[in-house]
Amino acid sequence: MASALEQYVNTVQVFSSQGNFTLLCEHISKSAETLAKHFHHLDNVMGTLNVQQHSLGMLGILCVKINIPNIPDFETLFVQTQEFVNLCNGEQIRYATESFADLLHKFANNLIERKTPVRGIAILAKGIQKIQLFPTQLTSIHAYLCQLCLLSKNMKPALQFLDNDITDISREGGNYDSKDFLQFYYYGGMIYTALKKYDRALYFFEVSIATPSFAVSHIMMESYKKYILVALILQGKVPALPKYTSQIVARYIKPLCQAYHDLANAYSTNRPNDLRIIVSKHNDLFTRDNNMGLVKQCVNSLYKKNIQRLTKTFLTLSLSDMANRVQLSGPKEAEKYVLHMIEDGEIYATINQKDGMVQFHDNPEQYDNSAMLLSIGQEMQKCMLVDEKIKEMDREITVNPQYVQKSSSIHDEDIPGSIKIPGH
Amino acid sequence: MPLPLQQGLFQSAVEPMQVDAIQEENDNTEASHNYVVENPTLDLEQYSAQYTGLAKLHRLMFVADHCPSLRVEALRMALSYSMTTYNANLYQVIHQKTQEAITASSVLPDAVAGAILNTPALDTQWIETTAKKAALKLEKLDTDLKNYKSNSIKESIRRGHDDLGDHYLDCGDLSNALKCYSRARDYCTNPKHVVNMCLNVIKVSVYLQNWSHVQSYVNKAEATPEATEHGKNGGQAIQTKLKCAAGLADLATCKYKSAAKYFLQSSFDHCDFPELISPSNVTTYGSLCALATFDRQELQKNVITSSTFKQFLELEPQLRDILHRFHESKYASCLKLLGEIKDNLLLDMYLAPHINTLYTQIRNRALCQYFSPYLSADMRKMASAFNTTLPALEDELMQLILEGQIKARIDSHNKILYAKDIDERSRTFEKAVAMGKEYQRRSKALVLRSAVIRNQIHVKSPPREAGQGGEMSIAPGTASSARN
Amino acid sequence: MAVIGENKISKMDFVKLGQDLENQELEAPAGVATPQIYGQLLAVYLLQNDTCNAKFLWKRIPTNLKTGELSLVWAVGQKVWQRDHPSVYDTLKQDWSEDIKPIMTALKETIHERAFKLVSLAYSSIHSEDLAAFIGLTVPEAIQAVKNRGWTVDAQSKIITPKKPEKLIDPPLSSDHQLSVLTDYVSFLEN
Repeated sequence: MASALEQYVNTVQVFSSQGNFTLLCEHISKSAETLAKHFHHLDNVMGTLNVQQHSLGMLGILCVKINIPNIPDFETLFVQTQEFVNLCNGEQIRYATESFADLLHKFANNLIERKTPVRGIAILAKGIQKIQLFPTQLTSIHAYLCQLCLLSKNMKPALQFLDNDITDISREGGNYDSKDFLQFYYYGGMIYTALKKYDRALYFFEVSIATPSFAVSHIMMESYKKYILVALILQGKVPALPKYTSQIVARYIKPLCQAYHDLANAYSTNRPNDLRIIVSKHNDLFTRDNNMGLVKQCVNSLYKKNIQRLTKTFLTLSLSDMANRVQLSGPKEAEKYVLHMIEDGEIYATINQKDGMVQFHDNPEQYDNSAMLLSIGQEMQKCMLVDEKIKEMDREITVNPQYVQKSSSIHDEDIPGSIKIPGH
Repeated sequence: MPLPLQQGLFQSAVEPMQVDAIQEENDNTEASHNYVVENPTLDLEQYSAQYTGLAKLHRLMFVADHCPSLRVEALRMALSYSMTTYNANLYQVIHQKTQEAITASSVLPDAVAGAILNTPALDTQWIETTAKKAALKLEKLDTDLKNYKSNSIKESIRRGHDDLGDHYLDCGDLSNALKCYSRARDYCTNPKHVVNMCLNVIKVSVYLQNWSHVQSYVNKAEATPEATEHGKNGGQAIQTKLKCAAGLADLATCKYKSAAKYFLQSSFDHCDFPELISPSNVTTYGSLCALATFDRQELQKNVITSSTFKQFLELEPQLRDILHRFHESKYASCLKLLGEIKDNLLLDMYLAPHINTLYTQIRNRALCQYFSPYLSADMRKMASAFNTTLPALEDELMQLILEGQIKARIDSHNKILYAKDIDERSRTFEKAVAMGKEYQRRSKALVLRSAVIRNQIHVKSPPREAGQGGEMSIAPGTASSARN
Repeated sequence: MAVIGENKISKMDFVKLGQDLENQELEAPAGVATPQIYGQLLAVYLLQNDTCNAKFLWKRIPTNLKTGELSLVWAVGQKVWQRDHPSVYDTLKQDWSEDIKPIMTALKETIHERAFKLVSLAYSSIHSEDLAAFIGLTVPEAIQAVKNRGWTVDAQSKIITPKKPEKLIDPPLSSDHQLSVLTDYVSFLEN
């Protein structure tokens, strides 16, 4: 029977040296069953392969090993996978992205089961880079990396991937699923929320909610709840969802989130007491949804919002008046809030302890210095870049044979204006 | 920190059809339906005399509902008036109310009270005869109409429908009245008939408080040449009637400015439709809506110096004073006078739900106008000019500044209100930067979305639970769930 | 494992040090790093005023390691998180081990400097006791310190008037570069 394994090694070596990776992939997938029968000898087989030259062959073996129920020696497999991910040949691997991704998914799941998610972070991060064609391509491994980061409470390593705005998605042999997509944006939103990067978090939750859908997804619903909370913390109101958001959201998801709508309504009255009433009314539900921490931040942000409103109406105000107006316990607490908000750049004010007053100022930025000019310039560059990207996509579409065929078969004047760009 | 992962957050998705909760839409009529007016100075006799038909009955009943001191009197008037109609149902309702009101206002037991306080007894005979007469008349009108129809005389059919409508209205059957009046539409042979039909529908729709209906029939009537012909007296009367109905509809739907404009277009000499509205109503509604929504120039031009509206204002000298004081910037006395007439206005069924909003708007407008010529104003003086305290004024001003109605800042330390000029240059920069960020965000979302669509990513109902786990490697099955 | 040479860390190195420590944590066998790594990383996060990551680091440290010096570092972190300035200085008063001494010393300086900046930004007048607590000095020390910075102290009321922070110096722009950028914009807008 050893001959079956020998034959596997042989085929891997021959095809690899010929560079015939498509055929090799086919062969490997047919060999899976045979390999599984001989799993005791697989480590020996791996020893005969070179990780750089025979990456696909190695991958086939690792995939078999990770699929064995109750993996006998996980530590060995861990080291093998680690080495493989670090050293394998990305070009070869990209012939079998779906297997590679599957290996890492199961690898991650094993780590989660063993309660050591942190061990997978560096490996999955490396894995993503191996199969990506470019840094803005999304893979299904992204979501797993985010999950490991969240579970190990080590958020930072995910940022290098989250901060890239995605422009393409790796198909992974047609296995890339809406679930991977939703999870990436939901977990990503949670990571940004945890690190208090609310702007990005809101965007991620929005993407998750606006995913095309024909059915209700729990991830979308949870995203929607957090979207409301993060929006309140960040903007003090809940912005409308994009027009292309699926009908499912309005018809089925929104009615299931009534408590969150109640919260947003109470928030919009600007009265902290009203908000507190709603919070205590739905206390159990918010706790069950694991959103209580965010809800508390919402309450806190309402005080801040009310203070910001004061800055728009007053030039000076005594700290005790301020405490009264925003329902804080007293001038000391008011001073603390003002101080923190000044430190965070949320208001422009100075405290006058001599008279117990606060003086509010306008934004001191006069837009007349070169630092500002530079930063505006950078923003413009970014706009131009993204504009260029969209134009390029537009061109791609116009030369797409399917598009040409379709649009020429309809009346000429009916060609849908390719892509609508906001602000154009 | 809200971090723990959602347990099993990707279990099978919920069946989309399970939940179909349609949110009920709450009508946002002002919630203050149960107020009580204690000290009105209303002369009920005179008030009631301005109206006929259902308008009189509805208004009297509204007064009775909200004013205990006038309740019995109002109901008695309504009761005796109802006996001049065919509306036996309403008669019984009013009678019931009257009885309750009389007993409630006395401490005596029912029977005794009834005798002593002279509760009118329920006139069952009248009810019977009225019902009989009404039925007879209905039968006759019905037969007439059938005859006309079999003879296909258009004009007679139209009249037949109208008569039937009139009769239903007299009996208080509004929905049938509306049906008959609307049916007449098919037999209108000239613009005059169309206008007539519209006026009938408008009248019933006002009683039904179906304001969108009122508005659309006003538009319909105005589109006919008959209504726009000015020269003739009839034309003017129709015009005024349409304007009043439109004004009423806009008032009821909180479009105060447009309501004011409609009322101000009424002609005093042709304002005679007691079944709808009285000239003094036109004065009140028009003045208050104008005060709440017009700027100084508009007020001057369209109200104070308007020769037609002057005649209306003669009817309500108090309102005339209020308007003049407002225009002369004598806000304290103006607001005081407004306060004095508030109780009476709260007894007006169409105005009452809007009084608080209108009063707030008038007051805000006054505050804005007071401050408009100043660069800085002493808030103590301002408070006394508005008959209010400093803290209360500060609150009001704060609200106005937040709403952008007054461009100013409060120096609470020195109690001075400073006009604030906006640095347009900085604001433009701010806006541009924000716009740039938004553009980037939207465009990135767009790029991402096109990737999503290109890859056909969409949430669908989950396929049957298949291919979990132990599948062979190179062609992996569905990726296993997040955390099982 | 890269061990920091005693007292040899310059300020610039802290960023690099932080990254090294992060990688070491990720590659730690069995997913658990040494108390030394955790302690140093925690201190570096605090130094960078990255309280979020400091908090999550503390949360993920295995319970059995949360003792000794490590817990003392977090005591500082907690106060920084709560922005309780007076207590920050108290918790910082420790005889730190050589592993983290340089970081903690730098942290103390940074917090001190941060407090000064914030006071000058946020207060037009402040009582000397409040200021002293804020910058972690005694009242006479604090008065001396602010006088050195040119702030005024009212001899009677001991109320201090901070000097406003100076505006940052504008980076100079080369007009050639400006011109070329401007050309880009115009050609972009015209297309």
